[in-house]
Amino acid sequence: MTAQVIAGGDARATLRRNFRRGVWRVLRRKPSRMVGVVILGVFTFMGVFGPMLYPERLPRDDNALYAAPSWAHPFGTDFEGTDVLALVITGARYVLLTALVTAVITVALGTAVGLFAGFRRGRWDAVLMRITDMKLTIPALPLLLVLSTVWKFTSAIEMGLVLGLLGWGGVARAVRAQTLSLRERGFVEAARGLGLSTRHIIGRELLPSMAPFIAMNTLIAVTGAVYAQVGLFFLGVLPFDANNWGVMLNLAVFGGGALTTTTALPYMLAPLLAILLLTLGIVLVVDAMDEIFNPRLREE
Amino acid sequence: MFVPAEKVSMTLGERLSAAVGVRGDRSVEAARNTGAAEGTRDARRSGPPGVRIRDLSVVYRTAAGELPAVSGIDLDLPPGTITGVVGESGSGKSTLALSLLNAVQPPGRIRSGSVEIDGLGDVTRLRGENLRKARGRHIGYVFQAAQNSLNPLKTVGKQLLDLGRSHEIRDLRGLVRDAKDLLGRMGMDGARVLDSHQHELSGGMRQRVGIMFALVLNAHLVVLDEPTTALDMITQATILRIVREVHEERGLTTFIITHDLGVVAEIADRLAIMYGGRVVEQGPTTEVLGAPRHPYTQGLIRAIPRLVGDLGEARALPGRPPTLGTVPSRGCVFRERCDLRMDVCETEEPPAVPYGEWIVACHAVAARDAETREEKE
Amino acid sequence: MTVIARRLAGHLARGFAMILVVTTISFVIIRSIPGDPMRARYEKLVEQGMSPDQAERATAALYGFMPKGTLWEQYADYMRGLLHLDLGQSLSVPGAEVTTLLASAATWTILPVLVGTLLSFAVGIIMGVYAAIKRSSKLGDVLAVSGSLLHGLPQYVLALLLSAVFTTLLPIFPTGGTADVTLEPGLNAAYIGSLIQYATMPVLTYALAGYGGWILAMKSSVVTVLGDDFIMAAELRGLKRGLIFRYVARNAILPLFTILALSLGLLFGGAIFIERIFTYPGLGLLLLNSITDRDYTLMGGAFLLITVAIVIANIVADMLYTAIDPRVRSGQEAS
Repeated sequence: MTAQVIAGGDARATLRRNFRRGVWRVLRRKPSRMVGVVILGVFTFMGVFGPMLYPERLPRDDNALYAAPSWAHPFGTDFEGTDVLALVITGARYVLLTALVTAVITVALGTAVGLFAGFRRGRWDAVLMRITDMKLTIPALPLLLVLSTVWKFTSAIEMGLVLGLLGWGGVARAVRAQTLSLRERGFVEAARGLGLSTRHIIGRELLPSMAPFIAMNTLIAVTGAVYAQVGLFFLGVLPFDANNWGVMLNLAVFGGGALTTTTALPYMLAPLLAILLLTLGIVLVVDAMDEIFNPRLREE
Repeated sequence: MFVPAEKVSMTLGERLSAAVGVRGDRSVEAARNTGAAEGTRDARRSGPPGVRIRDLSVVYRTAAGELPAVSGIDLDLPPGTITGVVGESGSGKSTLALSLLNAVQPPGRIRSGSVEIDGLGDVTRLRGENLRKARGRHIGYVFQAAQNSLNPLKTVGKQLLDLGRSHEIRDLRGLVRDAKDLLGRMGMDGARVLDSHQHELSGGMRQRVGIMFALVLNAHLVVLDEPTTALDMITQATILRIVREVHEERGLTTFIITHDLGVVAEIADRLAIMYGGRVVEQGPTTEVLGAPRHPYTQGLIRAIPRLVGDLGEARALPGRPPTLGTVPSRGCVFRERCDLRMDVCETEEPPAVPYGEWIVACHAVAARDAETREEKE
Repeated sequence: MTVIARRLAGHLARGFAMILVVTTISFVIIRSIPGDPMRARYEKLVEQGMSPDQAERATAALYGFMPKGTLWEQYADYMRGLLHLDLGQSLSVPGAEVTTLLASAATWTILPVLVGTLLSFAVGIIMGVYAAIKRSSKLGDVLAVSGSLLHGLPQYVLALLLSAVFTTLLPIFPTGGTADVTLEPGLNAAYIGSLIQYATMPVLTYALAGYGGWILAMKSSVVTVLGDDFIMAAELRGLKRGLIFRYVARNAILPLFTILALSLGLLFGGAIFIERIFTYPGLGLLLLNSITDRDYTLMGGAFLLITVAIVIANIVADMLYTAIDPRVRSGQEAS
């Protein structure tokens, strides 16, 4: 018995080692994927340490409103003479914190609902999936706008909560589909036959094999959440309490007239560039994950 | 099953000889039919084509380099015969079948050798339009029954018209008539089948439709890839009967790939056994199955359980068949599983030695043969 | 036919449920606005000398339901009004019926969204086939990554980038409105030309936003179909390349119809950004303005109409799918 357990542990360690090696190989095969990982790393750094690099109140320069890009201000300054780059870097924390909260809620709720529906099947499954489908089809952005009239969910935590509660549908669907397909392959019945408890089956057998799908769908949900929060601030339906890329966009476009004059253009382009880079990073990482977890896609 | 009791108790060998006795008469009949068919159906052709495969090698590109799936095969399909190729999965038999149409799919490619077909020349050199026109028109290909060889969105009839247009058939009405005849010949309601989508047909029906597609343009060389796999026993028997009948009526040269010795025993005139990308033994079906010489063929036949007798008598071959990556690059490919292994098998690939029409590639068989010849002298 | 009827019934039931949820949300929000403006209005009218009955009716005309009774009675009254397509009056545009405002705005959303979608569908599908065929070459990689990037980017980023190029740096296209206001609306070349000029930026954004999704979906679908047995069978029967291409294309497009509905839904949502950026007076801008103007009846109406549009798009996409796939028609769904 003990020998078996040890052997199992060994096998698991080997698997993990192989997995790591596989990840490394996939990353190395296309250098662009490395770029993706680096980009996400840089953004994480910005989110964690960015605000520590600058004073609490960013310095203003009244003599340099909407200054053109220069060495001192690579992306120029805003309407108050604040450095745009500093705004982007300090604004990253809000964006990423929201993304984190959304990710946690999405994973927890999506996995729970998907597993429950796929495991129980029958009536529960039908009801839960109806709800999920409806959530997926009700237009999310209009719903967010309508919600914003009664609840000003401005803080990063609140924002993440709202977006997470609206965004778990995709993960739930993916997890359910995976659970059902594992069931179909006789996976669960086989585990039952071995006398394993439901908890063990879910925790030790089902979840690990689904982790990649959960991770990928979460990444997609998080991307959506980033866009939604920046978009909400950009539209100006929430009070501008926090420093945020969306606020910058709003002020640049509707305050600075970036769509007609070039003075506020760098102010608008800086947060856009940040979003572009973040998207690129996520796309490249998802692409790599796709190949790591989906061997069928490996092109010969 | 409505097989008479006395037939059930026959051994495989007896069944074979019985089958061949019948076939002996039939081949004469076939020859006559062939002549008749030509006169009426296709005046241009001068009879069923013969096929000569010479030193054919097919490789697949993998991470570990190019690996051979078929190595140096020599095989003749005499005009008007049914040749069966038997092998386990991974033996290269499907690759061989595709080579006859020069249709090996990437990452595979024909590395060397030739496939000479009467009236077409070496198909491995055909390219582009010439190759496309040869397919379907001169060589009919029937897919494995389990595969869906029909476009799920179009009716059989519309796909038939697509086929006709692709091969510049002017008389499309005549084509439809021919198709209906063929389908009727195989016991189906032609008009209804032509109006059906794939999902409305059963496995056996689809397979007959596949045969119709292979024959409707009057191809005289027909390649069948596992035509009865995944069909139930009765449908299997029906399909084989149809193949045999159509073969004789139309005067075809037929090439049939299977993993089932029973299928070959039932319909093939000649038989080739493949292992690890090589033909290890070939010859007239009855003779080879009656007294196999190659240890692999012997093992295959021993592995078949008889209907009567002790189940324990059936003995599976030890070990597993090689895959692309595990085929030894030197020596005999079968030596790992062979009872008669000798030292020479480790280093030298056994040459194909002809004994009349019967060709065996085995060091042990060759050595034993040399001994008996010496004794005689 | 029964299959189609059954599918339609299912869609209608689901659509009805969705509409119910959306209208309920609208009602709850109208009733839970801080300060209860409805009550305030009623009291103000009474103060101005109206009888309570008159004031009640005036308020009801405005909001679409009576301000008296329990919440349930009010809810029932609101729903009853919806059945008669009575969405109340706009609070910010005096005297204007919500339905009238919605109807005029809907055209400005539906037309550009449809044109943009068709454009991106056509181009995306062709490029998707190309990306699938060239999938192991550099060009295929570039197509796929650019597709993912365009698909991944939110519409407002695309709109702002396009705008930075075509309205700020090279002022070719106007940034607001539907046509040159100095022109006489009508069927004359100048006005129609102006309409097209003003619609170019929104349509281009819709098209670019959709394009990425189509190229990706089509690529993966084509790759799947290319691996199907019947394609190889067609090749081995010597079918002409053009015909094989048609076999691949038709089978590969099929699953895309299910995405079509989803994408239309996304575009209707995205319309809010695009219409705000280009000041294009469609449903999205109407919804946004109603929120900033605290015009709750208009807001509820716009939200409802956007939802209805998505339900309809779903149904149309499914009917198209059913019409093309014989398996669904005969009741045997593939997988």
